[in-house]
Amino acid sequence: MVTITIDGKEYEVAERRTILQAIDDLGLLMTEVDIPHYCFHPKLAVDGSCRLCQVEVEGLPKLQIACDTPVRDGMIVKTANQRVKDARKGVMELLLINHPLDCPICDQAGECKLQDYSFDYGIESARTQEPRRPAKKNADLGPTIVFDQERCILCRRCVRFCREVPKTGELGVFHRGDESVLELFPGTQLDNPYSMNVADICPVGALTTKDFRFKIRVWFLDDQESVCDQCSNGCNIYASRSNNKVYRYLPRRNDAVNDTWICDHGRMSYKQILENRLTEPGIKGQRDVGYRDAIQEAGRLIREARTSSRRIVGVASPYASNEDLFTFRKLLEALGAGPGTFAVQRGEADDVLIKAEKAPNANGARALGFEESYESVGAADVAIVLGHTTTAEYFRDVANLILIDTHVSSLMDQAAVVLPARVTAEKEGTFTNHANRVQRFLPVVEPKFEAWSDGDLLQQIASASGLGGWDSMYSVHEISKELTESIAAFADLQLGSLDDQGRELS
Amino acid sequence: MIIVPYVTGYLSEHYADDDFRTLSAYKAKGGFEGLKKALAMEPEEVVEIMKSAGLRGRGGAGFNAGMKWSFMPKDTDRPKVLVCNGDESEPGSFKDRLIMERGPLQILEGILIAAWAVGASKAFIYIRGEYKEPIRCLEAAVKELYGARLCGENVMGKKGFNIDIVVHSGAGAYICGEETGLLESLEGKKGQPRKKPPFPAQFGAFGLPTTVNNIETFAHAPYILDRGVDWFRGFGTEKSPGTTLYGVSGHVERPGLFELPLGTPLREVIGHAGGVRGGRRLKGVIPGGMSMPILTPNDIDVPMADEFLSERGTHLGTGGVMVMDETTCMVRVACVVSYFFRDESCGQCTQCREGTGWINKICERIEQGRGTQQDMKLLEDVPAMMEGQTICAFADAAAWPIQGLMRHFRDDFEAHIREHKCPYPESFEL
Ligand SMILES: Cc1cc2nc3c(=O)[nH]c(=O)nc-3n(C[C@H](O)[C@H](O)[C@H](O)COP(=O)(O)O)c2cc1C
Ligand code: SF4
Ligand code: SF4
Ligand code: SF4
Ligand code: FES
Repeated sequence: MVTITIDGKEYEVAERRTILQAIDDLGLLMTEVDIPHYCFHPKLAVDGSCRLCQVEVEGLPKLQIACDTPVRDGMIVKTANQRVKDARKGVMELLLINHPLDCPICDQAGECKLQDYSFDYGIESARTQEPRRPAKKNADLGPTIVFDQERCILCRRCVRFCREVPKTGELGVFHRGDESVLELFPGTQLDNPYSMNVADICPVGALTTKDFRFKIRVWFLDDQESVCDQCSNGCNIYASRSNNKVYRYLPRRNDAVNDTWICDHGRMSYKQILENRLTEPGIKGQRDVGYRDAIQEAGRLIREARTSSRRIVGVASPYASNEDLFTFRKLLEALGAGPGTFAVQRGEADDVLIKAEKAPNANGARALGFEESYESVGAADVAIVLGHTTTAEYFRDVANLILIDTHVSSLMDQAAVVLPARVTAEKEGTFTNHANRVQRFLPVVEPKFEAWSDGDLLQQIASASGLGGWDSMYSVHEISKELTESIAAFADLQLGSLDDQGRELS
Repeated sequence: MIIVPYVTGYLSEHYADDDFRTLSAYKAKGGFEGLKKALAMEPEEVVEIMKSAGLRGRGGAGFNAGMKWSFMPKDTDRPKVLVCNGDESEPGSFKDRLIMERGPLQILEGILIAAWAVGASKAFIYIRGEYKEPIRCLEAAVKELYGARLCGENVMGKKGFNIDIVVHSGAGAYICGEETGLLESLEGKKGQPRKKPPFPAQFGAFGLPTTVNNIETFAHAPYILDRGVDWFRGFGTEKSPGTTLYGVSGHVERPGLFELPLGTPLREVIGHAGGVRGGRRLKGVIPGGMSMPILTPNDIDVPMADEFLSERGTHLGTGGVMVMDETTCMVRVACVVSYFFRDESCGQCTQCREGTGWINKICERIEQGRGTQQDMKLLEDVPAMMEGQTICAFADAAAWPIQGLMRHFRDDFEAHIREHKCPYPESFEL
């Protein structure tokens, strides 16, 4: 560790880091220490070209770029004196001479670093009379991204991203001087599993996603913390919502999980909140039954099986949260049904983020004692099934299927009782990712129809089937407390005590 | 072909002789004596001799060559590289071309001496693509060296002294003359300067320890090793020893290259070129290639060495002397200069990419009679925004000449704004 002084305040920082990296490591960049920057991105190679991050380092005659100047013990840095301010003003003025001044029709407005920094560090009015350099508008870069070349400030973040993260390298800066332009390499398209991240890291409105572009002004959105449930990586995300609707997912930084990235598939999965949902409860194919009736029917089936000592089995889902799964485990124990099983779908994986297990919580199911099985559950009177991954085949010899599910599926036709459940974005809980990191997600929206979390439904069913001690209102925080107290691996991982970065199972 | 009127010194003494380019004639004139003496010494001794000779790099920055050689890491297993910079793209400079065409073996001998001194096993000579004849001359000379076992393995019978020399043609960009832009280009990438540190001595061509020197710098080395430090210091000034090839162009009677000691008064240098054409009055002189600030007739007796020029707010640069007579419109000069830098900026750094273009637009507006007082303010402010704040010295090179013109010829700019037209009908055309 070395000690550096920034604007009179001392900081202990790691060696072999640059000033910006060191401040970023401490989580203080742009919160406590303001060093505006464009080309620097904490997860990409240092570029050092925008020159906005210049600071004064005592003992050095020239201003230094903070993104590329290594820290030294005793280093004294000034970020706010007149010389630094003038340098920033210069960069800001120069960046604007070729930038259109039409923020009102730019989709980035409100989350644009050019707008923000101009306001904080720039000049009051333009001194140019020349027309801007001619550039493309609305250029299609591939299936996901639209490019407004005229807004590009040539920070090359997107270029480095494509070279360094998906390693596809579709983008480059061509020509030189003030004719420099960002372009696709001839004959390529920006088409890789992580392509949409370029829109997040583009500091201006040059790169936008076709999906989100012009859907809503960003100042109407607020961001809720969540976790992607599309594979076992459990990338940390923000869900941007307005009026009880999710408009997009954005990556949320977690250096232990997903840095600052998410895959395009995960990003687009917000659509699953509204698409193809299972909206109504049902009894034996009849869909206009009431919620209570369906619960009562499930309770009745279980009660009957118990009185005649017929077999009851439980099949869990790797989409269910740790809390839902724990409730399920308790219920199966109370019914004397033996440990439940689960199955998880597998697919392609890479060495960036995408994992083979296409569900968020298979490791949670394992940690909670569910057994992985890809076979028929065998003959049983009642099977309680948390939907999503199993196929009808598994339940060939089951008389009564009680299905708790989020989306319409083929199992529905076969089920004696169907109960609509909440998706991740509609509830609170935790998932255990591929590396056994337990991560919390918060409720983002309310369902547009009556639906309850798996845990809540299981509790109501238990109560309806006459089991003692299940009559209280379901509370995910109560369940979390019980879970962390009764299962050693989850000790210290109670919902209320987890922060937004999660922690590993012990 | 340009033939130099040899004035004094050693570099160009035999340039009138076509045979000087062949090994036998070069040897007959004392060629490879310097290398022979160097190989009889320890490499460190050679570096020390070069340091005390005080040979300043002739590529523009004037850094002590021996000192630069001493920066090469000693305890390393990694191969070391020499790069000879023959990109010569600075407007007003054409000396390296002559050395390549008339004295290619001087350059190669200098490279071999440097290779011995720093322990390099590979040397690249990077020559600007437009220089077809220099490329041909150096390729022929390298071939002859290989034939005579003067490069390759065990050079001059010295066991373990292995050095390969490669002639590499550039593809045409001023910025490929900047040493790290050159390295990128040499590696087959877009010619864009690298941020420093790391410096080439740590991370150079292909990531290997590298020393970059200018063509002329290498060409002086054999003479220093052969004839000694005292002899070398007999030319030039205390701080700038040796001779150089001043390239005089512009409004003079006989433009050309003249080998003279560093520190020769500007008046004398111009005198060798026959003085200002047609007996006209001198208006300004750019002393060291277009990126150096301009001098006025008041400076006509300045000794042409960096230590004296820097007192006058400019530099020796490459020794390319551009003479302008009284008909010259300095706003047009600003247009030419700013257009060049606008066109050649690599475009990475904000200030350089945007500033060069903006300055050029402002200069052209003023020249067309559409300038305002705000433009005068901008011509002060924009170069100041660019200076000393970028990855390489290009932005300085683009800012300085404009600052020089504004400092000494403000009246020319004001006259354009006042009269809404160019008051120099006889000036060169844009
Ligand atoms: C924009 C720019 C262009 C340059 N062009 C050349 C050039 O064409 N030839 C050259 O020898 N040096 C050029 N230089 C200087 C080189 O970067 C480097 O300092 C030089 O080759 C080192 O050799 P020397 O120490 O022997 O002078 C240029 C520098 C800058 C900043
Ligand atoms: S498109 Fe955006 S991220 Fe890419 S270089 Fe331009 S401003 Fe930077
Ligand atoms: S990698 Fe997996 S967890 Fe991450 S965004 Fe993609 S699908 Fe979601
Ligand atoms: S100063 Fe100009 S030429 Fe040098 S790296 Fe920056 S943009 Fe390129
Ligand atoms: S952020 Fe440091 S130069 Fe761009």
